Amino acid sequence: MSKPLLLFISFFITCLFAEDLSYNAAITSKFGDNYNFYTYTENRFDLNIFYKDFQSWIQYEYSNPPDIGFPINDIRKFRIEYGHDNYTVKLGDIYEFWGRGLVLNQIDDQTTNFDNGIRGMFLGYEKGWFSFNHINGNSNIWNLVESSRTPDYKNTHNVSANQIFFDLNSASLGLSHLSSKENHELKFDLRDSVSVFHNMKGIYGSWILDNVDIFVEYVDKVSTEKNNIYPDGPLDSLKSGHGVYLNFNIYAGNWGLSTEYKRYAFDKGHSSFTPDDYGNRIAFQTMPTLVREQNSTLLGRVTHQFNFNDERGVQLSLTGSILNLDVIAQYAHLSRNDEWQSQTLFNWVDTAIDGYLPGSNPSVLPYWENYFEISGSQLNDNLYYKLGRGNNRDILETMRYFKGEQQDRIMSSFWEYDTTYIDLYGYEYTIIDSTENFDTSFTDFYTVESKMWQESKSITYPLEVSYLFNNGYSVSINFEYQEKQLRNISKGNSKSYNISDSLWVLINPENPDSNFTEYVNQNNIDTQFNRMFSLTIGKASKWSASLNYDQTNAFFRQATVDPYYNPLEALIFGDLKYFTGKRNKVDPPDFIQKKWVSLELAYNLTSSQRISILYGSLQGGLFCSNGVCRTIEPFNDGIKLSYSAIF
Amino acid sequence: MKKLLIIIPFMMLVLISAERSETGGKIPDLKIKLLDGKKTSIHTLLEDGPLLIDFWATWCKPCKKVMKHLDKYHNKYEENGFKVLMVNQDTPRSVGKVKSYIKSQNYSFYVGLDPNQKIAKKLNGLIMPTLILVDTNGTILWRHQGYMPGEEVEIESKIQSAVGFSIN
Repeated sequence: MSKPLLLFISFFITCLFAEDLSYNAAITSKFGDNYNFYTYTENRFDLNIFYKDFQSWIQYEYSNPPDIGFPINDIRKFRIEYGHDNYTVKLGDIYEFWGRGLVLNQIDDQTTNFDNGIRGMFLGYEKGWFSFNHINGNSNIWNLVESSRTPDYKNTHNVSANQIFFDLNSASLGLSHLSSKENHELKFDLRDSVSVFHNMKGIYGSWILDNVDIFVEYVDKVSTEKNNIYPDGPLDSLKSGHGVYLNFNIYAGNWGLSTEYKRYAFDKGHSSFTPDDYGNRIAFQTMPTLVREQNSTLLGRVTHQFNFNDERGVQLSLTGSILNLDVIAQYAHLSRNDEWQSQTLFNWVDTAIDGYLPGSNPSVLPYWENYFEISGSQLNDNLYYKLGRGNNRDILETMRYFKGEQQDRIMSSFWEYDTTYIDLYGYEYTIIDSTENFDTSFTDFYTVESKMWQESKSITYPLEVSYLFNNGYSVSINFEYQEKQLRNISKGNSKSYNISDSLWVLINPENPDSNFTEYVNQNNIDTQFNRMFSLTIGKASKWSASLNYDQTNAFFRQATVDPYYNPLEALIFGDLKYFTGKRNKVDPPDFIQKKWVSLELAYNLTSSQRISILYGSLQGGLFCSNGVCRTIEPFNDGIKLSYSAIF
Repeated sequence: MKKLLIIIPFMMLVLISAERSETGGKIPDLKIKLLDGKKTSIHTLLEDGPLLIDFWATWCKPCKKVMKHLDKYHNKYEENGFKVLMVNQDTPRSVGKVKSYIKSQNYSFYVGLDPNQKIAKKLNGLIMPTLILVDTNGTILWRHQGYMPGEEVEIESKIQSAVGFSIN
């Protein structure tokens, strides 16, 4: 039996019979089985015990296998805390959050399998407005890279972190420091791993008034690499960077304007960062992303893939109410910190963006989003409605990006002859020397523009209407409509580069000024139309039933084929042949393709126990949480069961 | 055998606790930072009367629907010492918008900040919304997960009985 378990059971048994004991617990169970040949079962039991100055938490998990992650049948997490007077001691799995997370923000998010908890010790001292906290321990952080379900990249950290915090209620100031000795796994390198030392120093502060508040955080980071040839020698300087986050809010009446600014510069590179890249931002830095936290499924699928190493941006969000309508208006603009120009096809050179704001040039991979929503209630709050509109435009990558001047080189040669006469032994000899001479001349400079980038654009309308009847029954309709484009855009007077001449090749050499703009739709799809519909009928405190319908017209990337046909789909599409046995059930007709139908029934066993069953198909896609994104596998013609209880 | 040893204590606890799934148990005295920067604790908020704790986030649709009702009850039963504490779980990604939303709705209940779910984990409020009604002695009177339109009737009846209990 593991030591933590033994410790916990001893503590639990001791406390169980104590008078001052209080505890609470939660159970979550999930089961899923579908025709994608993946059956998962996840069971977690969380128990909190409070006894005088002691608190403890233990999480036991039996998952074989889970939806995402490794199979486990053991104590997954535990912690014992002791707090007395001004002191706090915690042993076990530590999760802390300092400032807005530029130095430390620890999350255990099982939907994306992201866990940056530290197993070790926390010491805290707090007196009045002063507090000091120290963390020491180890962390194993897994990433999903090649597999969509089982983590395959492991970085281990030995962490020491300190925080000094002055809290004067309306004003606060924090100083934070975190150092980590990381063993960073490499997959595409001759080495299996590298040892990197990270050192971060941060400062943050806030000031809260009635109608204004402000928060600022800055972190400076330096990483060094262990010298493997001379292990006792000095560490090799690797990378350094910084991060800034600013949040300024103004309130007037029942309106609030939230403004945010970020500038994260821990690393830079033209192409996307891979898990093999090291020395840059580490997983404990889970920072604000500055895009809207969407609760619309279709908007969630087009969200931006954040770059915590190299990104700056602004976000404005206005919230208020007028004429009994709640209004939300949001705008965000992000970009990388540098413009990247392709001097050749392979040589990319960066230039820092002028000023502090994000850029709009495609070479800085900008991202724009804006969202507008109105919602309200009528008929004595029995009728609720919401209408939204979201626009997203994302430059995903640049394949060529050059604008500059070049001149053609003209090589010419000519022969020179030199005749000499030599008198040798009374004879006169004529010697003619010939030499080939080369002359290089250049044409006038001319402008070359050769640009190509990939862009995603979408517009989405989420709509919701619900009505509550006097007998406790309610009906809710959700509808989302989305138009999305994904295309490559080429622009300029050149499309290619001649490596031997080291020159961009003009499309029309006779007329260098003739420019073109070309749009190539991904997979020849002009516009992808997505629709989601859901109808929910429920009885308050008892049960609810939801019918969900998801549809697209085309796939930009690899098609997700649904090879099975089920009675629910046949019923929805009125396919009588299915029920009369005239339909081939494993070779469904075309009209069922690119559609996903599911029915979910939920029942409240008690007010704190809920069970639900889902039957049907769900489209996979991008799912993001806390800045961590993962692609959810499609769920084809299967059953999902879930149970949750708190007590 | 090892698995059995692990499971037995938990099963014992489940069986012991099955009857008190909705009620029972004492609420621990957890410290919480409020939206205006001030600090308080659950037991401090319980000094005047019962407390309803709810866990929410700005992106949680059912949370926003139930909040309107909870604010109404907070004002309606305030003179009986009743309070509502809304524990916000927005992460750094959206925590900057919490006060804007509260101001826009003119809500007057207490709003606590719990950006890395320390309090939610200790009170098992990870499913949003989760409501926990506590009497002035710290005894948990009622727990509730989720919100469907119409459930506000049951919520109010629970508050009424808690207020009545505390008045008596």
